Amino acid sequence: MWAFYTSFTNKALVGLDAARPRFVGLDNYQRLFSDPDFATVVFNSIVFVVGSAIVGQFVLGLLLAILLDHAERRRYRFASIAYAAVLLAWVNPTVIAAFLWVAMYDFFHGSLNTGLQALGSAPVDWLGQFPMLAVVVANIWRGTAFTMLIFLGALKTIPTDIYEAARVDGANAWRRFWDHTLPSLRPIAALALLSITMSTFGTFILIQTLTNGGPGIRTETIALYAFHEAFRSYAIGYGSTIAVVMLILNAAFAVLYLRWSRARA
Amino acid sequence: MTAIGPQAQAQVAVPPRTRPLEGGSRLEFVLMHAAFLAIAAFFLAPFVWLFTAAFDAHAQAYIRWPEQLTLDNFVQIFDRYAFATALQNSVFVAVSTMVLTVCVVSLAGYSLSRIEVRHKAWITYAILLLQTMPLSATMVPIYGLARELGLRNSYLGLILIHSAIELPFLVWLMKGFFDSVPRHLEEAAWLDGRTKFRALFEIVLPVARPGIAVAAGLSFLSAWAEVLMVLILVDQQSMKTIPLAFYETFRTAGGYTEVQYGLVAAMGVLYVLPVMAVFFATRRLMVRGLMASTRGL
Amino acid sequence: MAKVEYDNVWRQFVGQERAAVAGLTLDIADGEFLVLLGPSGCGKTTALRMLAGLEHPDRGDIRVDGRSVVGLEPKDRDVALVFQSYALYPHMSVRDNIRYPLRVRGLPSADQERRVTRAAELLRIEHLLPRRPGQLSGGEQQRVALARAIVREPRVYLMDEPLSNLDAKLRTHTRTELKALQKQLGVTTIFVTHDQAEAMTMADRIAVLDAGHLQQLGAPDDVYQHPANLFVAQFIGSPPMNVLAAQRDDGVLVVAGGWRMPIPKLRDAGAATLTVGLRPEAIFLANDGYPAEVLVSEPLGSEVIVNVKLGDALVKVRTGPDVRPQAGDRVGLRADPAGVRVFDRDTGVALA
Repeated sequence: MWAFYTSFTNKALVGLDAARPRFVGLDNYQRLFSDPDFATVVFNSIVFVVGSAIVGQFVLGLLLAILLDHAERRRYRFASIAYAAVLLAWVNPTVIAAFLWVAMYDFFHGSLNTGLQALGSAPVDWLGQFPMLAVVVANIWRGTAFTMLIFLGALKTIPTDIYEAARVDGANAWRRFWDHTLPSLRPIAALALLSITMSTFGTFILIQTLTNGGPGIRTETIALYAFHEAFRSYAIGYGSTIAVVMLILNAAFAVLYLRWSRARA
Repeated sequence: MTAIGPQAQAQVAVPPRTRPLEGGSRLEFVLMHAAFLAIAAFFLAPFVWLFTAAFDAHAQAYIRWPEQLTLDNFVQIFDRYAFATALQNSVFVAVSTMVLTVCVVSLAGYSLSRIEVRHKAWITYAILLLQTMPLSATMVPIYGLARELGLRNSYLGLILIHSAIELPFLVWLMKGFFDSVPRHLEEAAWLDGRTKFRALFEIVLPVARPGIAVAAGLSFLSAWAEVLMVLILVDQQSMKTIPLAFYETFRTAGGYTEVQYGLVAAMGVLYVLPVMAVFFATRRLMVRGLMASTRGL
Repeated sequence: MAKVEYDNVWRQFVGQERAAVAGLTLDIADGEFLVLLGPSGCGKTTALRMLAGLEHPDRGDIRVDGRSVVGLEPKDRDVALVFQSYALYPHMSVRDNIRYPLRVRGLPSADQERRVTRAAELLRIEHLLPRRPGQLSGGEQQRVALARAIVREPRVYLMDEPLSNLDAKLRTHTRTELKALQKQLGVTTIFVTHDQAEAMTMADRIAVLDAGHLQQLGAPDDVYQHPANLFVAQFIGSPPMNVLAAQRDDGVLVVAGGWRMPIPKLRDAGAATLTVGLRPEAIFLANDGYPAEVLVSEPLGSEVIVNVKLGDALVKVRTGPDVRPQAGDRVGLRADPAGVRVFDRDTGVALA
C-alpha cells in the first residue's frame, strides 16, 4: 500500500498528464485553485458533509441511540426491529443503497412521489430540483447506524441505578436526561463527530449514482470532481492533483482524530 | 461470632442485576412505539420495494404488491444481461480476496503482535492512518498504477486491490486478537519441541479463530460490496462484477436515462441475500467489526 | 420521622412463578431501625423499592405516617435510598453529588451549602468534597452515598445492602457507625441485608423474609431465642442451630435415637415425631452426658466449637476456650432444658 500511495504522490507532484506525458510542475495545482468550479465543488462538499454527517447522522444517530437505550431499559421489545432496520441500511453495499434511492426518488413512479400524489400533492423532481437534499437524505439513511452505535455504546455504560437514584433524589425525566445522560455522552461526541466527518467526506458511489454530480455541478463534491476530471476528461494528472488535495485534507482530519482518541484512551 | 456458619454466610452478596427501569407511563409507551414504527418504516421502506419489485412483472419504482408475480426479472438478468458472469466474478473475487486477506493478515497480525520492533507504535499509528483514507481519493492513482502494471481487467488486479482496501484495518484487528492470546500457549509448544511455525498453526490459530472469522467475514463483505475499484479497473464485459451490472440497467432512450427497475430489483435481491443472511446470523460480531473500521464509501 | 406500614403488599414479576413479595404486613415505628433480613431472592429488596416508589405493588397498601404513598412519585414520598452500588453520579464531584437532591428541589444556594457541609461533617468526608466518585475507595463512596441521603432530611431512610461491597473489617466498623448515626439522627430506617450478623447487631427489630413471605418479626433477642420456625432458627445464628430428629416418648424427648432430654410445654401435644433445635451454646460437655465422638475442634480464641458425631448427624457444641477435645475422643452431651426448641416435623413451625 505504501507503494501505491508514494508512487502516486510522485506522479501528482510532478504533474504528469497520462494521456500526453508532460512535465508541468505545479501548474495543475495553480489551475485547480484558480478554477471557479473548484470553489463550488468545495462548497458542495462542505454542504454535503455538514448536512449529511453533522446535522443528519450525528443528530439522528444520537436521537436514535437515546431512544433505543431508553427502550432497552424499559424492556420494550419492539425497539429491536427499529434497531435492526437501521443496521440493515448500513451493512448492505452502498451500490444497493444508491439504487434503492434512485427508485425512491424517481420522478414518475418513485415511492416518494407516488406517496405525495396519493395525498393529493404534485410530484416533486427530487433529483432535479433538490439534488443536494436528496443526496443528503440518502446518505443519512445509509450511514446513521454508525453514530448510533457509537452513542449506544456510551449510553449502555450508564447503570440503571444512576437513573433510579436521580429519580429518588427528585429529578424528573427531563432533568435526568440533562444531568446524567448528556454528560456521559460529551467525551465521545467529539470523537464521533470527527469520525463521521471523515467517513462522509469520501462518499462517492452514492452521489454518483443518484445525480452524477448534477444537475450541472450542484452536487459535485470533491470526490466526484476528481473522478470526472480524471476519467471523463482524461486528465489524469489533474485528477491526481485533486486526489492529493483530498488526501491531505483527510490526513489532517485523521491525525486530529488519532491524536484525540489516543488522548482519551 | 466469627465462626463460619455454613447456612448464613453461604449467601454471597449478589451483584445487582440489570433491572428494567420502572415507571413508564402509557403515553410514553405509545409515543415510543410510534417512533419505532416510524424509524423502522423509514429504514426498511427501500428494502420492501426491493423485494416486491423483484418479483413484479411490470415493476414500478414505487412500493406495491406486484399485480403479476413472476420470476421473469430473474430470468432476464441471466439471459440478456449476463448476470451469471457478474455473479461468478463477484463470488470468485470476493472469496479469493477473503482467502488472500486472511492469510496475509493473520501472518502480519501475528508478527506485529509477537515481534518486538522499536517503532511498533509508529507502525500501528501508520496503519490506522492508512485506513482512514477515503477510497475515492485513491481512485485516480490506483488507476494509473494498475494501467502501468497491466493489472486492469484481470482477476489478479481485482483481488489485489480488494485485499489492499481492508488490509490495514484487518491487520490491526488481528494484531489485537493475537495480543489477547497468552504467550505461554506457544511457549509450552516450543518447549515440547515444535517449531515456531507449527506452533502457530496448531496452537495459536485455533484460539484466534473468532478473530479470523471476523477478518474473513469483513474482507468478504468488503470485496462483495466494492464498486469504486471495479469501476476503475474493469471495462471488459467478461470481467464485470455485480455492482457493475447494476449500472447496465440504465437505459438511454431519447436523451432520457431510465432505470429498468425490475431488473435492478432482481439483481439487488440476489446481491443482498448473502449479506443479509450473514448479517442475521452473526449480528453482534459483525456490528462490532464494522464499527471499528471508519471508511467512506 | 415517620412510621411506616406495609399492608398486605403483593408483587409478582411477569414470568416468575411465585410472587416476589407475598402478603407482606409490617408496622414500623417512628425512629425505629428495622432490618429486612433474608436470603437472595426473598423479596426484601423489592419490598424496599416499593416503599421508595421504584416498584409498584400489585395489591395492598404502603403508608407513611398514615397516608398512602402508593401512586406517588419517589420524589414526593420524602424518602432517601442508599443503593447497594451507591449509584454515585460519576461525572459530578462529591460535593455536587451530595448537593444534587437539594439542587433539584430548587433550594436556595446558601441552604444547599449549609446542609452539604453539615452532612459532610457528620460523615467525616469534608476532605473528599472536591473529588470525583471514581477517585474514592469503596468505603468513601459509601459515606458519600449516605451523605447524599442525609442531606435531604427525609422522613425515612432506606438502605439496600449498603455494606455488602465493603471488605470484612470495614464492614464491622461501619456497622457500629451507622447504628450510632441513626440513633443520633433519630430517623426511621429500613435496612436490607442478607447478613444475619449485621441484622443482629444493628436492628431494633428484625423482619425475616423467605420466598416473599414474612417469617418472623421481632427484636434480635426474640428472633434468636424464640425463632418462629425452622427457617428462622437456621438462618440466624452462627454457627447455625443444630437440628435433629426426635421422638416423643412418655413425656421426654428422645433425640437422634438415644439422647433423652426434658420436653418443654408444647402447643400441639399430639405429634410423636418432631424436630428439635439446639443452639451450640445450649449443649454442654459433661462426663455423664449422652456419649458421642469428637470429629474436630475449632478453636476460635475466645471459644471453641467442637464438632461431634451423633449417629449420622453432626452436632456443633460451643465451649469455653480451655476445653480442647481431640478428634476421636469420646465426650458426653447434655442439653440445657431452657434451650430446647421444638418444631413440627412437617411444617417446621415452632411448637415451643
